[in-house]
Amino acid sequence: MKDLKHLYYFEKLLEDSYNDLCRQAQAEGYKAIGHVCFQIPEPLLNLPGCFSTRLRAPRTGSIEMGTYYMSSTLCEACRAYLERAIEGGFNFLDCILAPDACAQMNRCVENIERLKTNPKDSFFVTYADVPMKSDETALKHYVKQMRIRVLEPLQKNFGIDISDEALRKSVEEQNEISRLITAIGEYRKYESPRITGYEFAVLCLATYCCPKYLLKEKLQETLDELKTREPDPAGKYRIRVVMVGSEIDDPEFIQLAEECGALVVADRFCFGSLPGRQEIILNDEEDVLTQICRTYLQWGKCPRFFNQDKIMERRDYVDQLAKEYHADGLIYEQIKFCDYWGYERASAFHIMEEEYGYPVLSVDRPYAVRSSGQLRTRIQAFVERVEMKKLAEAKAERRAQ
Amino acid sequence: MGRALGSEPLGTTLYSGKRPRRRREWRGLKDTWYDYTRWLYYLFILAKFMMKPNNFKGFFRYRWMSNYLAVPDFMDRHTEGLRGTALRLAHEGIGLIIIDMTISLTDIFKADPEIGNDTELSKKMVVFDENMMSTLMGGFRNLKWVSYEVPAIYTSSFMCQDGVMHYVDKTHEYGVPNDVCPMPAAELGAALEDDLPKIGACAIQCNTTCDGSLMGGGLMARSMGIPTFQIAAPIRHRQESVQEYAGEEILNAIHFIEEHTGEKYDWDYLFENMDRFNQETKEFLEWLEINKTPYPQLLGATLGFYRYGVYMAAGGRSPVFLKTDKKITALATKAYQNKEMACKEYRHRAILWGVQAAYYTAFPNWLMNCWGIVPINDMLCCVSTEMVSTTDKHQALLDLGYLYENMIMRNRSNGGYETGVEDLFRLCEQMNVDMVIMYVHIGCKAMSGYTGLFEEEARKRGIHWIWVNHNLMVPLDGTRRDMRTEVNRYMRTILKEEPVDPSLEDFDDSLCW
Repeated sequence: MKDLKHLYYFEKLLEDSYNDLCRQAQAEGYKAIGHVCFQIPEPLLNLPGCFSTRLRAPRTGSIEMGTYYMSSTLCEACRAYLERAIEGGFNFLDCILAPDACAQMNRCVENIERLKTNPKDSFFVTYADVPMKSDETALKHYVKQMRIRVLEPLQKNFGIDISDEALRKSVEEQNEISRLITAIGEYRKYESPRITGYEFAVLCLATYCCPKYLLKEKLQETLDELKTREPDPAGKYRIRVVMVGSEIDDPEFIQLAEECGALVVADRFCFGSLPGRQEIILNDEEDVLTQICRTYLQWGKCPRFFNQDKIMERRDYVDQLAKEYHADGLIYEQIKFCDYWGYERASAFHIMEEEYGYPVLSVDRPYAVRSSGQLRTRIQAFVERVEMKKLAEAKAERRAQ
Repeated sequence: MGRALGSEPLGTTLYSGKRPRRRREWRGLKDTWYDYTRWLYYLFILAKFMMKPNNFKGFFRYRWMSNYLAVPDFMDRHTEGLRGTALRLAHEGIGLIIIDMTISLTDIFKADPEIGNDTELSKKMVVFDENMMSTLMGGFRNLKWVSYEVPAIYTSSFMCQDGVMHYVDKTHEYGVPNDVCPMPAAELGAALEDDLPKIGACAIQCNTTCDGSLMGGGLMARSMGIPTFQIAAPIRHRQESVQEYAGEEILNAIHFIEEHTGEKYDWDYLFENMDRFNQETKEFLEWLEINKTPYPQLLGATLGFYRYGVYMAAGGRSPVFLKTDKKITALATKAYQNKEMACKEYRHRAILWGVQAAYYTAFPNWLMNCWGIVPINDMLCCVSTEMVSTTDKHQALLDLGYLYENMIMRNRSNGGYETGVEDLFRLCEQMNVDMVIMYVHIGCKAMSGYTGLFEEEARKRGIHWIWVNHNLMVPLDGTRRDMRTEVNRYMRTILKEEPVDPSLEDFDDSLCW
């Protein structure tokens, strides 16, 4: 396919946490809110006067300082973020609003705070207790926490308007982005998709890391371009997969999979669009914060939700995506040392294959994959396995006829 | 050789490099006689236990039961080098845990459909997660709290150092990475192996210690075959704003149990039990006061094991524990007044922080006997000492919620910097401590995240900081000898000290139970 007109622009944005758009927004007087987890609803962090940027550590090299402070047995993403903070890569942030969602990310943020990595006097960090279930008791707790750990600190420290009107405005802004991303993502369902998994990951990732209001124009133009884009001929990619798992904040991993012939047609991972880039529908009866929190509780597919309903829901959701996006198999990935995904992918390897009938590749990976030969081999072998299965099925079908 | 502390070179007289010990320790006539009669008593308890047909069948049905053959050796390990009151405190405290365990196992096997098949008893049982407090069961007069993961995995690995490695291997074979905590991994392995009894009317799980523990529970629920409820105790448990939710979750759990057992929650019964629980807490506070003095009495494994039994398992429901508490307080107070010591020299006062190695719970005894390092307190004992309301239902729910947030290990592995780091150094001051033995449990992500901050804070305060690596239930990743070597190196190279008992500095116990 011909390159997307703005792909290079979006790729450049992802090369640095403090990218051009973050700089522009700050120059316009916006406060930069660092966030580290899906569990803090983005509309709360993108109220008028502030914008959210999800912490990443692009182009990570050594993580020695992160390893000194957090030991070598912790998630490499968390260590890389801490390393980047110590290097000064997050000095532009005005605060970090973190949930205590997983112990490792919590330790990362605590280290960032305790080591006083940010030189701004007004810089602060809050830790919200976010529920691990999705019932009504949990929702009440969630709403309370979001009010006192996110909204009120923003109002108190930066004078941010946290009224229902402001929240509605923020939701609408996110909805605009979500509509664009969803429409772009729809092109992945085609037999010959007009957008690759890598390209989509770049666009989607940018929406987590840049001020949303500055992205609309380029995303709209990309959507328009896709309407007439000539897809690659069928058969360029050997199989279609749903990518499921922990944080992928570097599209290179998706690129690596696609180089091996596995087209990533659905992104069910942290930083992905499924869920997270759907519209938030608000009514006029209930207060806006409760509605936002309910939506995020329903969306939440992190394995930290441990009630049985949610566990089943996660598997059914992946099954639904695989059907909707016509996937041949599933890749469950995790960054090494993630306890949540360590268990989730191990069980999915058995359950999604034995009970749902999908071929599953289960891999753990380093934070920075780049040219990982091992991963490449694993994915290539998986592609061959799925191809063989498809061939065998086709043969059996022919015989039956 | 004799009554005096440190009169025998324990390393050479006890350890032969093989599984059994060379001989029993000679502690002088009076103490040896006391110790020997207690040892016989444990054998008697075990024999009595095995006489029951259900228990006999259970022994051959469950692989993990073989670990309990090492109970007498377990007691020997945890009384090593002790004399006088310290010896008696160990037998009183740890001995009661063993007796309580046999009672619990007898019930489990009786209800087990594959053994006793007492369905009526099984319907009265509520299965709780391991590492989870039983306290809320204090309001169900006719129900039985049971946690089969405790005897199957937790205490199994105390008895025999490689006792649950088979189950850990099974979980890794299933596909769970080997960097997760071995405890939930072993529990899941036992479930995958169908090596846990299928009992109970329903089960309560909890986000106990860590993310791995929570995930293991989720998978285990599949194999239980009974309705399960998950208590989501708040993580940031020091925040006032989370307490209401914690209480509501307890109430939800109570409703769930009522629904699945048909029993009604009896608040008067709860208050009665909580009154006992509060009294037990007061006794514990007395022990801590004694430990602040130059003559601490309840030390190391004795304190740790017993606190676990009282706080987590008994939960105020058993009068025997309060009776034993009072006995322990009386013994400890008298010993303190007589300035009794638990080892030959008191060179350093230490707090043990982090998670202890389940396969080397006698490590604190070695610290005392070899280097004169006195384990004044350990992290697992630093739990809530708040009183539970015995008059107000709403307040009692909030208090129970707070307890569940502050379960052993969980209250330090969760809750943030103030609970994991700040509290430690506050305790060091309170307990007049000059050394921290920091267990580095390789699979524990929560504590590892503070590695650098711990070092910097200890350096600032001039506290000796010794890292001791282990992998909780997998001795191959950090053997008992490796753990000792890390202390030896620090003592020799940094402090330039000579051991109190040189025979203990290096010996081979890799084959021991």
